[in-house]
Amino acid sequence: MPPKKRIFPRQKVCRFCTDKNLVIDYKEVRTLRNFVTERGKIIPRRIYGNCAKHQRKLTDAIKKARQIALMPYSGPTQL
Amino acid sequence: MRRYETIFIVRPNVAEDEIEAITGKANSIIEGDGGTILRSNNWGLKKLAYLIKKETQGYYVYVDFAGVPASVAEVERIFRIDDRILKYLTVKLADSCDPEAVKEQLANAEPVIPADEDDTEAVESDSAEDEQAD
Repeated sequence: MPPKKRIFPRQKVCRFCTDKNLVIDYKEVRTLRNFVTERGKIIPRRIYGNCAKHQRKLTDAIKKARQIALMPYSGPTQL
Repeated sequence: MRRYETIFIVRPNVAEDEIEAITGKANSIIEGDGGTILRSNNWGLKKLAYLIKKETQGYYVYVDFAGVPASVAEVERIFRIDDRILKYLTVKLADSCDPEAVKEQLANAEPVIPADEDDTEAVESDSAEDEQAD
């Protein structure tokens, strides 16, 4: 049996915890854009290492932004 | 008194003064119930992220106010009836609100939160083109 490959995960810290100026608001699409894929899907928190509290607020904000057509439900803005 | 904010989207072919009339009507309903308008912004014509009633663009109007739940229900009922309004969203910001204190706070803070997403998009697309050119 080959030795298990050891993975050293890079310590990821929540961007919203480190930067207090960065607020999660559904009206500020510029911030939210960083946390969705090109197709508009919300990126899981294991990728960016957001803390649970902020990821929760982030998803709420993205979903609100989708409701009022500031962000797409799916697909890039191509209209 | 609770603090709410409402965003509504008006059809792009509607005249400016009609939009003002719609906003004024909503404001009068809120104030009629004893509420206060804290700030009201016209974000202007913005591209929608998806089609709404076959429209690709819409006028965004943002109203921040302190009011009672009944006035929210009434404003939303008016919005549903009005064909010129594509969509609306009301969010409760706080359970209790002192209009005077918030007004002072807003006066000291920056005047508006511009949602200039179109600008960023333009910049992004420009940089993308630059990369391709290189």
